[in-house]
Amino acid sequence: MNTREKFSVGLLSLGFILALLPLSANRSFTVKPQKLLSEVLNEKTFFTVDQVARFVISDDSTVQIIDLRSPEEFRSVNIPGSINVPYNELLDNDPGSFLNDGNIKNIFYSNGDFDSNYALVTARGLNYKNTYVMKGGLNEWFNTVMNSSFSGERISARENALFETRTRARKLFTEINSLPDSLKLKFIEAKHIAAKKLDGDCE
Amino acid sequence: MGIIHKYKVVIAVVLPILILVLIRQFGGNHFQTDAKRWSEPSIMRSNIITEEKIGTLSGEKLIINLGEGNREIKDMGMELLNIPADSVLSKNILHTIGKHDGPLLLYSSETAVSARIWMVLSQMGYKNIFILTNEADNEISKNKFRPDTIVRPEL
Repeated sequence: MNTREKFSVGLLSLGFILALLPLSANRSFTVKPQKLLSEVLNEKTFFTVDQVARFVISDDSTVQIIDLRSPEEFRSVNIPGSINVPYNELLDNDPGSFLNDGNIKNIFYSNGDFDSNYALVTARGLNYKNTYVMKGGLNEWFNTVMNSSFSGERISARENALFETRTRARKLFTEINSLPDSLKLKFIEAKHIAAKKLDGDCE
Repeated sequence: MGIIHKYKVVIAVVLPILILVLIRQFGGNHFQTDAKRWSEPSIMRSNIITEEKIGTLSGEKLIINLGEGNREIKDMGMELLNIPADSVLSKNILHTIGKHDGPLLLYSSETAVSARIWMVLSQMGYKNIFILTNEADNEISKNKFRPDTIVRPEL
């Protein structure tokens, strides 16, 4: 058998194999199921609303908060500094455009616990390991941060610190979400500039 | 025999690739292609079922309780499998899930756990899986924000 004939048979066979493979241009999970399962069942993939509140008031630049709700819900109220990527559009565009920076912790939240956890598994399945969930979502944020109060006689230092964090986060949340949409972004930008000036960064 | 001998070089190259492709396609322990397609029920919320609506599902139901023990789940007169969440991908459980010919209901006292397991199983190609929950309205906003019109933001 000559080389040309072998080559033709080889090509035909490879064509047959290609036909067996699913042709899909869409994204698919790349990690192994068992590995993904152990990753997503790890408690370290959760942040509590108090932890997120601390990130928000300290304007932590190593954290990106991602709101998975609809644009209408996001416009009406959101956690200060968060970006909006509706869950139903998570895979429509390249998630790498907002999840790619390995130095940044991406924290998903929605109103409850479903969408954020679906998004976490999806992102981790696509090998974005720097993804987390705010446990309980915005409903829990309201219960814990917005409706927090202290009614006892004595308060420990730890409780006081927690209460202080919640109060500051609530104030910031109320301030920003009370602004008209056109001013929200300007306020956040002005806050960043003010913080840089305090750090001595004369931009 | 003559043909095999004649094409032995081609067979040596193509056969291993074919075997790998077949394992990838028909082996159980891998994710399907097109993640968006397999997450579609979660977007439509058609993967969530409450106790009251279980009757609308046809076929023999199997409840997979992802907690430890079945104290949290009431006796619903359905087949019940108690397994820890981290064992859900063990061979015998996957075999049971694959063999079951009816709706599979995932239950956990923690919504986050059942949501995560649902997505993993769905992306592996398992269909007819639902999350059994008492909180069908979990993703509905339960709080109304009242803007403070007096507040003046401080920098």
